[in-house]
Amino acid sequence: MKKIILAFIVLIGVSTSCTKNFEDFNTDKKNPTEVPGEYLFANAQKELADQVASTNVNLNVWKLFAQHWTETTYTDEANYDIVNRTIADYTFRTYYRNILADLKEATNVITAEVPEGAVAAIERENKLRIIELVEVYCYNRLVDMFGDIPYGEALDIENISPVYDDAATIYDDLILKATNAIAGLNAAEGSYGGDDLFFHGDVTMWKKFGNTLIVKMGITLADYNDGKAKTAIEGAYAGAFEMGEICELVYLGGSNSNPLYQDLVQSGRDDFVPANTIVDLMNGLEDPRRPAYFTLHEGEYIGGEYGYSNTFSQYSHIAPEIQEPTYPMTLLDYTELAFYLAEAAERGYSVGGSAADHYTSAITSSFDHWGIEGAADYITANPYDAGNWKESIGTQAYIAFYVRGFVGYTEWRRLGFPAMNIPPNPAESAGGEVPRRFTYPINEQTLNGTNYTSASTAIGGDYLRTKLFWDKN
Amino acid sequence: MRKFTLFLALMLFIGMQVALAQTRTITGTVTNADDGSTIPGVSVVVQGTTYGTTTDLDGKYSLNVPEDAQNLIFSFVGMKTAVREIGSSNVVNLVMEPEITAIEGVVVTALGISREKKSLGYSTQEVGGDELNTIRGNNFVNNLRGKASGVQVKSSGNMGGSTNVIIRGTSSITGNNQAMYVVDGVPINNSNNNNDGQISGRSGYDYGSAASDIDPNNIESINILKGAAATALYGSRAANGVILITTKKGKKSVGGAKILGVTLNSNVTTGFVDKSTFPKYQTQYGAGYGPFYSDTDTPGLEYIYDVDGDGQIDLTVPTTEDASVGQEFDPDLMVFQWDSYDPANPNYHKATPWVNTPNDPIEFFETPWSFTNNIDIVGGGDNSTFRLSYTNLDQTGIMPNSSLKKNNVLLSGSYDILDNLKVTASANYINTKGKGRNPTGYSDNLMSSFRQWWQTNVDILQQKEIYDQTGRNVTWNPKTPTNLDPIYWDNPYWARYENYQSDERSRLIGYAQADWQINDYFSLMGRYSIDTYGELQEERKAIGSVSGELGVGRPDVTSGYTRFDRSFTETNIDFIARFNKYLSDNWNLNALLGTNIRRSKEDQVFASTDGGLIVPNLYALSNSVNLMQPPEERLAEIGVNGYFAGVSVGWKNLVYLDGNVRYDQSSTLPKDKNGYPYGSISGSFLFSSLMEDQSWLQLGKFRLGYASVGNGAPWGSIKDTYTLNGIWGGTAMYSLPHNKQNQTLEPERSNSLEAGLEMVFLQNRLGFDLSYYDKKTDNQIIPVAVSYATGYSGKWVNAGKVENKGLELTLFGTPVISNDFRWDITLNWARNRNKVVELQEGLENLRLASLQGGVTINARVGEPLGTIQGTDYVYDDNGNRVVASSGYYLKTATSDVVLGDINPDWTGGINNAFSYRAWSLSFLIDWQRGGSIFSLDQWYGQGTGLYEETVYTNDLGNPVRDPVVENEDGTYADNSGGMILEGVVNTGTEEAPVYETNTTRVEGGDYRVWGWSRNPNKAFVFDASYVKLRELVISYSIPKAKLSKVWLDGATFSLVGGNLWIISKNLKHADPEASQGAGNIQGWQSGVMPSVRNLGLSVKLSF
Repeated sequence: MKKIILAFIVLIGVSTSCTKNFEDFNTDKKNPTEVPGEYLFANAQKELADQVASTNVNLNVWKLFAQHWTETTYTDEANYDIVNRTIADYTFRTYYRNILADLKEATNVITAEVPEGAVAAIERENKLRIIELVEVYCYNRLVDMFGDIPYGEALDIENISPVYDDAATIYDDLILKATNAIAGLNAAEGSYGGDDLFFHGDVTMWKKFGNTLIVKMGITLADYNDGKAKTAIEGAYAGAFEMGEICELVYLGGSNSNPLYQDLVQSGRDDFVPANTIVDLMNGLEDPRRPAYFTLHEGEYIGGEYGYSNTFSQYSHIAPEIQEPTYPMTLLDYTELAFYLAEAAERGYSVGGSAADHYTSAITSSFDHWGIEGAADYITANPYDAGNWKESIGTQAYIAFYVRGFVGYTEWRRLGFPAMNIPPNPAESAGGEVPRRFTYPINEQTLNGTNYTSASTAIGGDYLRTKLFWDKN
Repeated sequence: MRKFTLFLALMLFIGMQVALAQTRTITGTVTNADDGSTIPGVSVVVQGTTYGTTTDLDGKYSLNVPEDAQNLIFSFVGMKTAVREIGSSNVVNLVMEPEITAIEGVVVTALGISREKKSLGYSTQEVGGDELNTIRGNNFVNNLRGKASGVQVKSSGNMGGSTNVIIRGTSSITGNNQAMYVVDGVPINNSNNNNDGQISGRSGYDYGSAASDIDPNNIESINILKGAAATALYGSRAANGVILITTKKGKKSVGGAKILGVTLNSNVTTGFVDKSTFPKYQTQYGAGYGPFYSDTDTPGLEYIYDVDGDGQIDLTVPTTEDASVGQEFDPDLMVFQWDSYDPANPNYHKATPWVNTPNDPIEFFETPWSFTNNIDIVGGGDNSTFRLSYTNLDQTGIMPNSSLKKNNVLLSGSYDILDNLKVTASANYINTKGKGRNPTGYSDNLMSSFRQWWQTNVDILQQKEIYDQTGRNVTWNPKTPTNLDPIYWDNPYWARYENYQSDERSRLIGYAQADWQINDYFSLMGRYSIDTYGELQEERKAIGSVSGELGVGRPDVTSGYTRFDRSFTETNIDFIARFNKYLSDNWNLNALLGTNIRRSKEDQVFASTDGGLIVPNLYALSNSVNLMQPPEERLAEIGVNGYFAGVSVGWKNLVYLDGNVRYDQSSTLPKDKNGYPYGSISGSFLFSSLMEDQSWLQLGKFRLGYASVGNGAPWGSIKDTYTLNGIWGGTAMYSLPHNKQNQTLEPERSNSLEAGLEMVFLQNRLGFDLSYYDKKTDNQIIPVAVSYATGYSGKWVNAGKVENKGLELTLFGTPVISNDFRWDITLNWARNRNKVVELQEGLENLRLASLQGGVTINARVGEPLGTIQGTDYVYDDNGNRVVASSGYYLKTATSDVVLGDINPDWTGGINNAFSYRAWSLSFLIDWQRGGSIFSLDQWYGQGTGLYEETVYTNDLGNPVRDPVVENEDGTYADNSGGMILEGVVNTGTEEAPVYETNTTRVEGGDYRVWGWSRNPNKAFVFDASYVKLRELVISYSIPKAKLSKVWLDGATFSLVGGNLWIISKNLKHADPEASQGAGNIQGWQSGVMPSVRNLGLSVKLSF
């Protein structure tokens, strides 16, 4: 019996000893509570490049909207149905939650570090400024997609109903922010080193990136506010990219493959073919870049009819190089800059050359980028036409921006060229036309309703057909 | 003996205190006259004094009585009260006679405490073990359907799949709403280990509910504690109700003879698919999406390829199209089909007639078999009992290559170390192996192919032949005649035999317990219990398969292997001190004080190959094309320390009052505020005791209870951690968590009020038990969804209030009773009204899941918990649907329109049991009224023209799929096909609409009109009501007289039918109960399994 009593006592002892370290139970022992800010920055870069590259119908439909590509069997997205798959929700999720939140956290972590010595202090400053430039890049894309968006009150979990700011005001702030960031960069020292997936810590390149971004924003504003556009562009162009310079993510392959490889090859599906919009256009111009863009189908380049059902085997396909796991994704490059500068020159801004000069540089740069010879002959055959400059620049930029759907689509919105096709069953909200923007996420209607409604009213209605403030075309 | 010396001295000391009052000790056993079993809980009182006790679990008592005591009074509900003279003997045994006039007996309540049911101030409902052992399936709980009011049991229909068990409605917005299982005082883990993606309708498997490990052969009875007043002592996780299981036990010897009983149970069950729960396909049109594949006379067929190499272009089936809105069948039309592309096929390079298949996918299903064998040995000596039970279940499903095997061994025993000290121990080992479970959800699910994406021209048996012959993935869905890679769907047999999953769980549930009856009225109990299991889930995709989500990060891959290792352990240590004493003839006091120390640990790793497999058929992590992604690990430890006390007082068999308090300290809450008290109070008033002369009324009882229960937070909702997304070279890519954790969380609180009325009339021939409850769950800990613009998806907060109000009725009667024949009817009915009262301030809607098809499941203020939201039609002021100028319906601009909710209006079951001599027959009909389901199967499947509804004769007498033909004046030709959607068109302006009847004809030969493309979600929201013949049991027991010659104690043969007939339902082509699994996300069907009508034969032999 003693044993039994003893056993009871032991049991009580065991049970009370369990109460030690009680709080530790709620500690996650498998995930860190602290990480270097550089890792958060790298994650944001990867997320951003993945988003820009992707052609997943849930995440990125801009290659369709640009009519660079079209769908084969399931044509909902090519017909501008972005509601069924809540694509706008995914877009907000990617930019705000997956990219901007990590950039902000990286800023917080890096700011909290105490630099050891002067060099470390400069590097820290460089890191923070670089984050700002990537933030500007993201917000610029968001504004160009939606119009008014949460900005000033965004990324604050204590405020779950962030107000939407006026798109034009955001633009002003982005240009200011980029300008200040560039001013704060010190190219004498480094920054992230290998943790910077785009420029490997090269501060000079980040400065050029910033200036190119300002030119890009400037030109977008040109129809809306010529003065602002002129000031921004003239102040930035000289420090922007030079021929051959590019901001891109060179994928490593394996588990770090280009999302296009996952969407087009690994998926085993045949969902996309080049659209007749771009194929017919390039056929008309006998464009030498076609082999880099498309495959031949029975000796010809044939694009799928945009928005219609297309039998995959009966059309040209996306060029195999683009489907490689290591295919680099361009975020911003000299080609893009040169087209903007051509337009800026045409608009009478002082950008160190004539419109024709920049036009020539842009096309040359594009040919180089795609590894195609014969730019000079092509330019001779398709010379810059100042009388129809929108068509001249618009068409060429549209072709050059192949695979960069959103940039190509935005260029079409701004300049109106080339002619787009109307798919057979465009979503009601598009009003029978090619959309001018994305509708807001359904999430915002339900979770941030009041601000959504105000924003919707402010921009002239939450429709695909609503034009953005800078869209005067 | 020496070891007892100290103890004896102690006992002597305790005994002395009583002995001072000049008493002597009377002992005895109380047995039941019916079956000789002992009766615990019988009140034994010395007449005219306050000396009294109750019998223990073995029906024994020991009572100190004054020397001058004359008589003992034995009383027990359901038994005739007996008076026995004490006389000179110190032993007074009693055989109690049942009392015809009472129906309520002893029930096991929280913490295993036996109580007289009449004394309870809350609702409980008992179900006997036999009733759970009718249909031998994977989970005994499925047999609870219709047998208890207010308990909603919904089986997913997946092989070995999970079962949703909801008692009195769902109240937790994002947390667990499943009932808690307790077996002999041991809480049983009932995790559903399905991953988040699977639960919200992505690809995956339903791995079942862990409580299905409980073997129904071991169940003596189940008592369902429905309300919080009944469960408060169990702590917060019992807030959803408790399914309290008492297992069968060994028996002590009677009169010195050792007892040994052996029972054999054997069951074989087969079944067949209920065709009303599988698509009824149209039979007139084949593969395609419309008449646009060629410019030939047969535009639904392609005219591109020269298949047979004769230099002529051939007519081919658009094999890439997984739809059937194609060319009309015509036996004279010769077409090259999928079977003409592969050289292994007899039809290689041959055209075949364009006809509907004689073998549609219903031929795919196999006859399921289930064999259950159980041996049950019970026995005991004077001081001991034991029971050994072994059950083997071997089951095959309706899907090819699917099986489930279970082995369950239970050994339990007790030993009386001393007369007043008893130890009990039990160990239950369970091994479950599953293989080839059916996938669930939208993508990579064969059933979603059959229901959504299929060609009516494909002969499923031909797919079997080619797979059997070649072992290759020769699919009906190749990319082209020369590129035979599958585009969307594998050969179905390849999918079953190559891409199968397997899983195994080994589990040990056990406890050791000591009960020490210190004296007449004071006892101590100590128990240590453990529930621990290890589980491995492996999923495979063979090289050459269609790409699908698989592995860490869920990328699309064409081959791969994943393994999910999980272990779970929960230990509980309980100490309870009890006091039970008659303070006087009229007053009884029952009190307890206890503590519960709970620790649980969940440890899991999910790892997978990346980018595919290198070596075919080698399913190992090392066989990965790319370096593996970092595995996902989770280690969640939870500790809860609980302290509780309870008092119940009874007065004169008339009024009973109960009060319980508990204080919990939970490790999941912020450490400075991790304790919280709660409690319950309840009472019952037996008004029938005041009018005992009424022969028509045997029992009348009114009860009332109130409880307030607190609850801790889910593990890991306080502190933020970063998430690793991958490694880039030497850089780890970390991101913030998607949900913002919260350092200031407070406990949730659930308050409930319950009232009930129980009455029994006409010598127990008729009775009812009616309950009303009102439960409010407040201050809920939920990850509220927030605008992504905050940088997060959600944020843990205390917010939200959900209310459940309901009525439950159990009605029972015996319309006929005679010597040979008896007819019993039991009816259970419950109605629950559920409402989200509030969410966080400013928040009107909380999305619980976003599902394929664009519908969401939500908590919306003012609506029941679990609204199905999506797009609706646009209506005019008169409620007519508005049609756009295109002729198709207009859809609402937003997807947040409430289209229905997942909660039934009411549920019920009615059981009729007849017995005639050795024969008995019973049948159970159960039903659900209301509740909604969005059918993704039809959302897509109608669109792909699979279902019979997409073929009919239109208003002009022409096939609806014929082309629309317009006359020159814009009217429609007599031979026009197509249809005019019922509705109105706006011929006015947007501001000043003028609605006129729609007259625009749209194409029926194009997929758009039928399904997802041009219809709102509302078109595919259906009523989930059903009435089912759930169970039919015919059994014959050989009379004992005949058995004695063959050494048998009993022999029973039963024929059991399960799910035999869906008497009525409003959802076509599927079982409204079918789902992707248990949990809060219901009301959405994609690729669900058809239901199976079961037929089984059981034999039970007792020796």
